[in-house]
Amino acid sequence: MNEPISLRVYEIVGNEFCVASDDGQKVFDQIAKALREDKKIKLSFANIESLTSAFLNTAIGQLYGSFQNDQIKNNLEISDMEQDDMMLLKRVVDTAKEYFKDPDRFEKLNKEAMEDSDVS
Amino acid sequence: MKFRLGSIESNYDGFSQLADIAEATKELFWDDIEIDMMHTSWFDANMCAPLGAILYKASRDLNTVKISDKMPSRIKDILSKNRFLSNYGIPAIYDTYGTTVEYKRFEPKDERYFADYIEKKLVRKDIMPEMSEALLKKFRESIFEIFNNAVIHSKTEMGIFSCGQYYPNQNRFDFCIADLGVGIRQNVIKYLKKEISADEAILWALKIGNTTKTGKVPGGIGLKLLREFISKNKGRIQIVSDKGYWELAKDGTELIKTLQFPFPGTAVNIEFNTSDTHSYFLASEIRNEDIF
Repeated sequence: MNEPISLRVYEIVGNEFCVASDDGQKVFDQIAKALREDKKIKLSFANIESLTSAFLNTAIGQLYGSFQNDQIKNNLEISDMEQDDMMLLKRVVDTAKEYFKDPDRFEKLNKEAMEDSDVS
Repeated sequence: MKFRLGSIESNYDGFSQLADIAEATKELFWDDIEIDMMHTSWFDANMCAPLGAILYKASRDLNTVKISDKMPSRIKDILSKNRFLSNYGIPAIYDTYGTTVEYKRFEPKDERYFADYIEKKLVRKDIMPEMSEALLKKFRESIFEIFNNAVIHSKTEMGIFSCGQYYPNQNRFDFCIADLGVGIRQNVIKYLKKEISADEAILWALKIGNTTKTGKVPGGIGLKLLREFISKNKGRIQIVSDKGYWELAKDGTELIKTLQFPFPGTAVNIEFNTSDTHSYFLASEIRNEDIF
């Protein structure tokens, strides 16, 4: 069984407007949980009417601070997204890759993540 | 203390007059503040957001804020329809033509509530019947981007203020979001660890690749997206923060100026061109493998 896990943004957020960073965090948490198990994910944006860069930065851009580019590319598939939103997502992803290129920033975040998991 | 307002338009002079009030009231406590609009011949209704922010701060400092109801009837009408004057005891009146987007104050955690407000008030097809779905989506998302920016960067505890107005005869829709937060200059100074003027800080924040974000969530494209869209739409943007004033005009020219006194937060004012006939559909298709 190597079927991708289906995640529906509408269901996770409970709204057609993906505006709030907090809602983006809920989507990130679900994707991250699956990626940690190296599962494949199909993320559906069906019935979503509006998206902001803040939402996508939190939901998807943030992944680049915790996972390798290749793992995201191989495991995450986007579906049911309008073309202009795909363009926005591409910019978010390109910006995130650039953002986490800074080795100090990447190192610091990894260290914080390790400390968090030590505590919990 | 009494302030006599002249005409307030969405421009350098309009924001300067509001910053003057902010400066004069910033250290007042237990005082009486009266706004006199008797000689105001024009008031861009979207400017209720920055004026409301300044007056809200004055009220929070336990001053008694009053707006005299003696003002030209067309101004009183519009500021009653958008419920700005309701905050100062003047009754609201019904907006028959539905051209106002109500003046409101939001808490930073109200992002969903804000989205509902925009959906209900802005996206009324009977107000803007000739706009394409794609353009309307761009309008809505631009406004959300500004609100997100205020939530993320202002660190405000006094809320986020918004107000909009549609001018059907001029094919323009103006919307303003103002906050009483730390401002762009302070954020950039903290990030760059060096002194920078307020106008330079706005220019820095608008440059592709620049962001003051440092945490685990990347950022820094909201303002750039807004600028790109408004350029294409042939609209206008003004960003006012601290003493910095930046404007993108309809013809694409930029104006950067310094206010005499600081605006106590950040205000972003956008003018959408509602007669825009751009398709906003992408010429080439983007596939999943192009994204990651």
